[in-house]
Amino acid sequence: MASAHDAERMGIKPHWEPEDVIGKMTLSTLLFSNDYRHIAIKGMLTSVVMLGLGGLMAMLFRTELALPGIQILDARPYMSLMTLHGMFMVFGFIIPFVVSIMYYMMPKILGTEQLLWARGAQWSYWLLIAAAILLVISRPDFTWTFYPPMSLRVGGDLIWMGYIAVVLVAISEFIAGAVLLKNGLAAGRRIGWKKLPLMGWGAISEGILLAASTPILALVGIFMYTDWAQITAVYDPGRGGDVMTFMFMFWFYGHPAVYLPLMPAVAILYTLLPRFLGRPIWSYWSAVTAFALLTMLAFIVYPHHFQPAENVSGMLQRSVQILTLAIFIPSTLHVFNWIATLWSDPIPASARRAVPFKFIIASIFFLMVGGVTAYVNAQIAVDSDYVHNTYFVPAHFHAMFVGFMANMAMAGIYYLYPYFTGRMYNQALGNAHFWLWQIGIFTKVTMMYYLGFNYFPRWVVDYLDLPQWSIPQLILTGGAYLIGLGFIVFVINIMLSATRGATVVGDPWAVDGEEAADGAKPVPAE
Amino acid sequence: MENALGLAGYQSTMMIIVFVVLALGIGALFAALFLPTRWRLPYSMEFLFVGLLVVMVWYGDKRSTEIFEAYQAPLEEEGVLETGYNTASGEFDRVIRVLAFQWGFAFIDEEDTISRNAAVVEPGEKVLFSLFANDVIHGFNIPAAGITAEFEPGAERNVWIRAPAKPGKYLIQCLNYCGVGHSQMKAWLVVQGDEDNEQGEA
Repeated sequence: MASAHDAERMGIKPHWEPEDVIGKMTLSTLLFSNDYRHIAIKGMLTSVVMLGLGGLMAMLFRTELALPGIQILDARPYMSLMTLHGMFMVFGFIIPFVVSIMYYMMPKILGTEQLLWARGAQWSYWLLIAAAILLVISRPDFTWTFYPPMSLRVGGDLIWMGYIAVVLVAISEFIAGAVLLKNGLAAGRRIGWKKLPLMGWGAISEGILLAASTPILALVGIFMYTDWAQITAVYDPGRGGDVMTFMFMFWFYGHPAVYLPLMPAVAILYTLLPRFLGRPIWSYWSAVTAFALLTMLAFIVYPHHFQPAENVSGMLQRSVQILTLAIFIPSTLHVFNWIATLWSDPIPASARRAVPFKFIIASIFFLMVGGVTAYVNAQIAVDSDYVHNTYFVPAHFHAMFVGFMANMAMAGIYYLYPYFTGRMYNQALGNAHFWLWQIGIFTKVTMMYYLGFNYFPRWVVDYLDLPQWSIPQLILTGGAYLIGLGFIVFVINIMLSATRGATVVGDPWAVDGEEAADGAKPVPAE
Repeated sequence: MENALGLAGYQSTMMIIVFVVLALGIGALFAALFLPTRWRLPYSMEFLFVGLLVVMVWYGDKRSTEIFEAYQAPLEEEGVLETGYNTASGEFDRVIRVLAFQWGFAFIDEEDTISRNAAVVEPGEKVLFSLFANDVIHGFNIPAAGITAEFEPGAERNVWIRAPAKPGKYLIQCLNYCGVGHSQMKAWLVVQGDEDNEQGEA
């Protein structure tokens, strides 16, 4: 089945020696070093902090939503927390996390040895930090989609910082896209397109998405600021502007934004699965085709976020529906490829024990749970019936963002952990983290789907005491607490294991049956 | 009751398709993980699989479009609001203009009587809601009627429902975040009838 190029382009051999990279880092290297490992470690650790902050916000408003009535938060602080939660999780956690993992993996896997344009990655990081600080100061309370004219009428005197933050996020992501594109294209030219590892195709796809969509986001941020300052009236209908202009511009970025963490997560999965199984992916070209189709479709289906509308109707609406339904095809090709790879030969015991492998399997599971409902979301008739702006939408994207992408981010960091600490994580704590997350995520997503089916509205601090709403909300909050507990276990694990974990030499992920080089100590048996 | 889009059967069909596809996918994943038998799939399997997906796309688009167009047809006839107002000959038994604002609804009937936060209809009536707003983007949702709509300031959006047959109060709510009072932006669809009858559900 596998072609002659497979072993080369699938990268089934280890690329690094376990080393205490993080222990040798100084404050100076942590902050300013352009070494790819330092930039990537800084990005991953910052993302973990962002996950902690965003998660803490979620715990607070989840506690508020556990019961009908006002418990601990009024409407305005609730909406500020929810807005910041969305922005921290998307812009601060999941996108930078998976991109940082790519920064770590690309130089060795693509054979460039160094991250090309590493200075750009450095700038991208610091611009994002500046954006996060401005966001917190501005305390926006208009959700991450900040629809005008509502968003122009709320917020305090410092809300303009939020719009500047949007521009900074756009510039930061544009630069990150340029870095990924540069590395992917350079590797393709050097290695040859038929031999380019799938990580390279992932980098090119992600680079195109970032570089093409973020300039529009920057424009949106600028116009929001100038409209707010009453310099222009691009979006404000009260002064002659047009809301639909905002809709088309924002979602031109907003829909690809959903794919920004997805593409790296898929690329990481294609990189790690062969490592744990010791065999190539079932179909290289199926994966490349799926990457290309997803990248193209990401840019043209965005009106489904606000249809039906007066100017999204007729053939445009029909075309958007067909193309949105068609996204089902490349997404499912990826899943088909992974399952075919898993099924083709026995799964080594070493893989079954490894915590990152478990997170990979959970990711595939949740990609199906989240992805399959896209078939419903895409249909205009069902969208007009119960999907639009009910909990069905966050159910879909939490299954994708948390169930697939965050799980893959965890697979990536557990995989890299022995390479940058020289030590192995604690297996029992890793397993505890895994199960707390999977039970929590499944509970949360299932309850969100159920609530959506019962027309529970998004973005509400309080709700009617109806049994079809209040009971699932209580269970949902329980699921969120499990995810929070799992995160605490994860943080304890990576902190303690960095000094107390078993020292690793050789290949920490040696496949059972293969000779572990230099007396390597693979994942400890359970 | 009759669902506004007539989706009861269609919606169920789509959810069954979703559950079947999900069950097959999860079944295949678990089989790949736990079955002792290994299966090296030929590449031809993927072409068959893509063919099935294309059929799913075709079916989803076809059925969705048919149902949506059937729902839209009475709304898109020329002069629908004018004929609607003449309930004797119009498409609809009742026409209600709905002004959505931060944070509530005002319902204006055919005699220009304004009701704050309650739309009063008769059981089983075919009711046209003409939605508009002047401040920000709002949503309009009647869970019992299975209809959602989003409309921006300055635009008019028409939706219709078949009112529940059972007298009672049915929830109307905003589904699009419109400011800090969004969660309180609710109203009631009041279906008139014999007081001895059971109350409808929210």
